[in-house]
Amino acid sequence: MAITVTPETFSFVSFDSAYIARIANLVAEQLGLTDIDIEIAVDETSPLTRIDVEVTDSLISIRPLSGALEDTRRPRQQSELATTLAMARSMLRARDRLRGGFENAPLDTELSLPQAAAWDTYILGRITRMSIEVKKQAALYNFRNRHGFNDASDHVFEKIWNAETFTWDELSALSANTLTLSA
Amino acid sequence: MANPQKPRAPFAPWDRRELPGSFSVEETARRVGHYKWAEMKLFEALGGWIATVPELDIKMRLGTHCYKHAWHAELWHKRLPELREMNPERLTLPANDAMVRFIDAMTEPEAPELTIEKLVGVYRVFIPHFISAYTYHLNNTSEITDMPTIRSIKFILQDEFDDWREGEMLIQSLLETPEEVDRAAAHQAKLEKIMLEAGGIAGPGSIGINTPAPQGAMS
Amino acid sequence: MKKFMPVEELARDERFNQITQADRMSDARSAVPANAESTRRSSNRLTPARADASDAARALMHGIFVGEIQALEGAGRTCWDFTTGEEAPFGLKLDMARQAWDEARHVEISLKLGDWMGSDVGQYAENTVLFQAACSNDPVLRLAGVNRALEGLAIDVFTSMKEFGEMAGDPYLEFCEDWMLADEVTHVKMGSDWLRKVTENDPERRKKALEFQSIVDKMFSYGGSRSDSDESSLGIARRFRELAGFTSDENEHIADLGLQALEERKAQIREKQAAAKN
Repeated sequence: MAITVTPETFSFVSFDSAYIARIANLVAEQLGLTDIDIEIAVDETSPLTRIDVEVTDSLISIRPLSGALEDTRRPRQQSELATTLAMARSMLRARDRLRGGFENAPLDTELSLPQAAAWDTYILGRITRMSIEVKKQAALYNFRNRHGFNDASDHVFEKIWNAETFTWDELSALSANTLTLSA
Repeated sequence: MANPQKPRAPFAPWDRRELPGSFSVEETARRVGHYKWAEMKLFEALGGWIATVPELDIKMRLGTHCYKHAWHAELWHKRLPELREMNPERLTLPANDAMVRFIDAMTEPEAPELTIEKLVGVYRVFIPHFISAYTYHLNNTSEITDMPTIRSIKFILQDEFDDWREGEMLIQSLLETPEEVDRAAAHQAKLEKIMLEAGGIAGPGSIGINTPAPQGAMS
Repeated sequence: MKKFMPVEELARDERFNQITQADRMSDARSAVPANAESTRRSSNRLTPARADASDAARALMHGIFVGEIQALEGAGRTCWDFTTGEEAPFGLKLDMARQAWDEARHVEISLKLGDWMGSDVGQYAENTVLFQAACSNDPVLRLAGVNRALEGLAIDVFTSMKEFGEMAGDPYLEFCEDWMLADEVTHVKMGSDWLRKVTENDPERRKKALEFQSIVDKMFSYGGSRSDSDESSLGIARRFRELAGFTSDENEHIADLGLQALEERKAQIREKQAAAKN
């Protein structure tokens, strides 16, 4: 497994590429992603938080905007927790695609907002159980924004949050059914 | 239903209000002017302190209490012309020099680590003295001629009791060591001594002790 | 306690990290595309349609929360800083005390909304520009800065958040923002009325106050975060601004300032990004 981080030195933010690589390495080992190369390309020109992930059989490519790794209390400074979360989210998504059950999942760019929220909930629930600090209420708020502010939506959120082995078809069906119930 | 033509007593059997009261119009106006001055000083201090206290819950309470005392000042401002004082500013005065010194001493603490002193000044000294002066006024003024003052005092006392309770609980929540208890007590004693000199919110006689001889009152 | 408190002395507990507008503007990164040919999304408007809507709404909510704290402090300081009668009319100070109570409630509401949206107190840096820019030592300028510029900005922000809540179907957010919006309209109206009254016989002072407001308004456009352009996350809430006493001309002026600030910020970003690349 090789992990590369670009840029090597940052001009817009005070990030440390070696530190990002170390965190990525730890997360990859925790997730059992030791047989694949990982390339991390930070777009330091944007403070937004989006992360694009592309996966092939031999490479996971993670492209976060700098806001995704940033300490929101100290602008332009790197946050260990945010970096850990960003890596864990990206790698879990990649692992879902690589390890089966998610063959039918659309490309990240083609996911609907509710589908993306449902998948993110599934990812964050598992990250919590890796003993990484996750704000569950923030995840719930995002899920509600995409599936409705009601009991049915909250019930499905809990189900997804606690799940360990969903397939894409199960996950997307839950998301679609919740939208129908909320309509 | 009883015969509507039948004469009824103008004061119902349960209406036990009495006409006599301890305060003349002038004396009432004097007291009300002092109340207004003191309430103004209090709302100004609370407003100023908001930015100086780091404790978020206390910051919000000071903002809330600031308005209540401003409203009390406004009630007294509106009452003064009804007491024949057409220039309310003329009677908007401290009871005496000691009262001015009390306000100066109460508003002296500024640093962020002096929240205990700020709260003690307001909630263990100033507001209890408001409660005393208002209660004395409420219980001694004419229940018929001075009903507008009574009505205002009742509204105000409700606020004072609520704020006193909240302030006292905030103080208790801040006192974590015997040294802090001493700090609170020392500041309270310092201010209380000045208030003693002032004789209360409305000066000597605020609660009936050392009352100047009433003029034109009917008691 | 002294009169006129410098912004550096605003008291906070250890959860907060304060930054200045200069810190913020020295950040060469931008959510706003500096070049027209940029491939980033064309609209930055805060709507649920944005992929990062929940994060962005949460960050804005925290911005509202600290803004309310500073507005509370600003209103409170007006009660203290100016002598009644000589420097500020009694009625004006009563209104500022009322505003302090309203802002205290807004802080409470923002805290509850922060919990609801999943953020913590102090999770984001606190930009102290609101207090710094708005709290002039001249009571008339302070009215213009706090009650018209700052509270006017609050009208724009609350309108955006209320619409966000409506679109997302979030009844809690919509309900709270609507109530806060009602208060802000009242505060702007207080400012408009007092400014008119206090400068009734002093057109020069009024002109100076309005010029000051214009400067603060531009500053509060945060490098184009508020303008009629879709590149800005916030729009100008014209209807509520008019209810609060802003004239159509004043609203157009604020809209122009927003666009100006946006273009200036884009030029600044282009320059900083070019410098960083070299």
